[in-house]
Amino acid sequence: MSNALPALVPRTASRQMWSVGGGKGGIGKSVITAALGWQLARLGKRVVLVDADLGGANLHTCLGVPAPQRSLADFVTRRVERIEQAAVETNFPRLRLISGAADLLTAANIKHQQKVRLLSHLRTIDADIVLMDLGAGTSFNILDFFLMSDVNLLVIVPEPTSVENGYRFIKSALFRRLRSVCEDTEAQEILDFAMDPSNLRGIRTPVELLSAVENDCPDALPPLKAALAAFRPRFIVNQVRGPADAAIGPQLVTACARHLGIRASHAGSVYHDDAVWQAVRQKRLFAAEDPDGMAAQSIRQIARGLLQGEPMKFDW
Amino acid sequence: MAELTHYEALDVARGATPDDIRKAYEHGLAVYDEAGVATYSLLDGDQRRAARKRIEEAYRILSDPALRAAYDEQMTLARAASGAVDASGRPHPIKLPDPVTGADLKRFRESRGVTLARIAAESKVGQRTFEDIEGDRFNRLPAVVYVRGFLREYARAVGLDPVATAESFVARLPRRSP
Repeated sequence: MSNALPALVPRTASRQMWSVGGGKGGIGKSVITAALGWQLARLGKRVVLVDADLGGANLHTCLGVPAPQRSLADFVTRRVERIEQAAVETNFPRLRLISGAADLLTAANIKHQQKVRLLSHLRTIDADIVLMDLGAGTSFNILDFFLMSDVNLLVIVPEPTSVENGYRFIKSALFRRLRSVCEDTEAQEILDFAMDPSNLRGIRTPVELLSAVENDCPDALPPLKAALAAFRPRFIVNQVRGPADAAIGPQLVTACARHLGIRASHAGSVYHDDAVWQAVRQKRLFAAEDPDGMAAQSIRQIARGLLQGEPMKFDW
Repeated sequence: MAELTHYEALDVARGATPDDIRKAYEHGLAVYDEAGVATYSLLDGDQRRAARKRIEEAYRILSDPALRAAYDEQMTLARAASGAVDASGRPHPIKLPDPVTGADLKRFRESRGVTLARIAAESKVGQRTFEDIEGDRFNRLPAVVYVRGFLREYARAVGLDPVATAESFVARLPRRSP
């Protein structure tokens, strides 16, 4: 399905879609997305933040914007016809917001047709970067937003549960991508077998999966290999409290390469900073309150690194 | 990881400097650290311990200039003499008869001192399945796609080429009507 999307994209399409996922709630994903959007706008980009956390939207709060009158729900339910009509200005130049608030139940259970329309219209937004904050979990809706993006960011915190959910998110997203590019019925069966959560034996990693396909139906392999190579999630490690935590990003990259066969990269670490939760409690954007604080500086580095195109290369 | 060269175990190039090697060693240990988060949900405790042990061994050799020089020379000689290693120094996989029988596999496994219980524990596949494989009891084995997976686990555990071994074995399986 993601294959069919480019045909719908008009010439005014935004230059890039970025998405921020995490697999787990409460890890600071929305706070980071808001600050990253703000920082990108500050660096001169025209940014539209999209709160795609359809069931639990709160990006407006992280930005210090009152709950907007218009939201994604207006577009989904066709109260507005163009997605840009759902966008509101923020207090910051070049930064607009499409909120996900209101009509929670309707939006969280968005139907397939509505999703396809939403995904294709997101590409039409006139901006340099459309930055999407995804909800928690690995539902197909969330994975599809992630997979349609040009830059795939994944927030984790230095905790086993968060890392475990992060890996699950990556694997789920990749397997969904592989399934969408696979046209060979025999290979599709192998993929379905591998994706079946009740079957943990035999095929456990993308590498094993591809080797099974290579054995059984080698003709189906090239598009899958290409999709695996193109799949480049980038980690943002949040709430880092010291050098040991700061080393986790590169460790995740190594673990992904060795044990999942996935070429991830480390976009950067965000230092723990009391100013962040103080700002969040006051419903203000922390980075704008204290642009020279540790966390805001981390976000600035990440934004610069991501804008330079290639993900920051890990240096021993 | 048994078939990795010391360079591959540390994920460094043949020409890595002592500083590169020390950093790669510290990084590698941290990736598999007992209290770390990077591989906690990907590997169990035994697998992480084995990975750390492999990294320790690689570092013991590569951090010592004399041992490293001897190792490099040994790699070069082995390559020159027999062609048994490829350009990166990785040993070529051992060849068994093709198609390989359960009895061939059993003989090889025993020569390596690997128990079925260990393979079962590492692969989380029942030991009886591997007994059926070694006994060529085809009628007790599940569908081919599963058997391939089991064979790969088995081959990895005893140090054989996983894909070639699995293919060689399943080639002998009787075709079943779907």
